[in-house]
Amino acid sequence: MAGTGLSGAASLAGVGRTPFSRDSGASTTALACRAVLAALDDAGLGVGDVDGIATHRVGDSSPPWVVGPALGIDDPAWHLDQFGGGGVSHAVVGQAAMAVAAGVAEVVVCYRAVNARSEFRMGGKGRAPAGAFDLQYQAPYGLLAPVQHYAVPARAHMDAYGTAPEHFGAIAVRQRANAAANPRALKRDPFTLDDYLASPWISEPFRLLDCCLETDGACALVVTSAERARDLRRPPVDIAAAAWAGGHSTYSPPAPGGLGDDLTTSSAARLAPRLYAMAGLGPTDVDTAELYDCFTWTVVVQLEDYGFCAKGEGGPFAASEAMDIGGALPVNTHGGFLSEGYVHGINHVVEAVDQLRGDAGPRQVEGAEVALSTGQPGYVLAGTSALLLTAGR
Amino acid sequence: MGKAIRNPRPDAGGTGAGGPGAPGDTAVRPRPAPDRDSAYWWEAVRDRRFLVQYCADCRSPRFPPREVCAVCLSLEWHWHQGTGTGTVDGWTVTRRTFHPAFPAPYTVLRVALDDAPALYCWGGLAGADPADLRRGLPVEAEFTELPPENGRPPGEDGPDVVVDWRPLG
Ligand SMILES: [Zn+2]
Repeated sequence: MAGTGLSGAASLAGVGRTPFSRDSGASTTALACRAVLAALDDAGLGVGDVDGIATHRVGDSSPPWVVGPALGIDDPAWHLDQFGGGGVSHAVVGQAAMAVAAGVAEVVVCYRAVNARSEFRMGGKGRAPAGAFDLQYQAPYGLLAPVQHYAVPARAHMDAYGTAPEHFGAIAVRQRANAAANPRALKRDPFTLDDYLASPWISEPFRLLDCCLETDGACALVVTSAERARDLRRPPVDIAAAAWAGGHSTYSPPAPGGLGDDLTTSSAARLAPRLYAMAGLGPTDVDTAELYDCFTWTVVVQLEDYGFCAKGEGGPFAASEAMDIGGALPVNTHGGFLSEGYVHGINHVVEAVDQLRGDAGPRQVEGAEVALSTGQPGYVLAGTSALLLTAGR
Repeated sequence: MGKAIRNPRPDAGGTGAGGPGAPGDTAVRPRPAPDRDSAYWWEAVRDRRFLVQYCADCRSPRFPPREVCAVCLSLEWHWHQGTGTGTVDGWTVTRRTFHPAFPAPYTVLRVALDDAPALYCWGGLAGADPADLRRGLPVEAEFTELPPENGRPPGEDGPDVVVDWRPLG
């Protein structure tokens, strides 16, 4: 099958992160460098070992051609400066794995650094992502911020399947409870479903507590060959599969007959079969899932589209105990973007690595061997990406 | 010089969230930013015509405008008068002000056009309570003139007519 050559070829050998905050007081270049150095240290490597560097950004952060030289890496054999938001957050790691598998690079550092609270807030006054051509059909009506763009498919999903505010609330409440066991989390004070239902509207059906946290911070990951990862300091986490999908956006129209026809099904429905096939695994093999949660509802649609429940049942399933730590499918064990912080996708991968290494402390999923980590499921800026990771042996 | 905000027609009911964009601020409502594919479509909107582009070869309709047909890759097309009607596909009632020209609350719809499957247009909700919205609700296009900016001639800062949607019946 096409693509199986990537499965197991590369591993995550190190992770690094800065503290998450509302005001880092540092440049995105500085944050990126700190996270990269921490990840290299975790792997037991130095900057002299790095021959690849990759990030994604939307004009809001320091690029590889700044961060690399700032660390003395002036001639990487491979680099990637990908335009895009959370939809490509996992694509960057997948592409690094391809570079390693192809022998173009041996040690790649992937990072994402943002001052998304103190400098470059999304949905600020009229701030539209560059390159979103068809916003000309939306911005003139006041459809400007990501929360509004996700609200439209969420409302359609509620109308189509009876998905309810209480389902969204259950997700928000659980993730805050998970964050209480995560010292890195920005928000650790538990709240109740009643607190959720009393939180102010932002753009219906989303309330304040449906929204992720604007965060300053950075994370980095070291991607190297599975073989080399086994000689390094920490237990390797293998990239069992990486997959991509595109062509579905709420910014732009669908291709004829394309997925974008139906707002209630995300591009993850196209990606998931490729991802599972590459790994030779299925939804029932997944021990924990870090599902892109820029807003609560994206968890609901991904539970359906990654095959954990039937279409339309994501709301009740998300509200069930199955998703608790200790349940059948613990989701967003670190508190997710809703409560840990939002480093535009990459902190999900870092949490998945923590879980597969057994490093997650009080939020550890017992015996976690397989983790799914996903990017934004393909709304807004089109395209999605995801990783299936396995504990290395 | 400043100018008064014209309220972009908030929905019936609800209260403004205040904050940036509350009465007292001034702001210019973002104009559509046509590209080389869409300029003619926006010009037609200014003439109160809702056009849909059709491939001259395979007759497939498309919206928004593009140079090439995604079905047969033909570069030839015609403009046709569209029905100007559709059904509600999705919506959001925004209750926090993100831009001073759009004081909350207000509603934006994604409308599935009646002309053909899989054609979608966006716009504000006109003349209805958003509590009555549901998927499949029939709506018709309503052309809304934006107020002139800074004393400049109409249309100088981009198209000054946009499309909103009013429930039928
Ligand atoms: Zn054609």
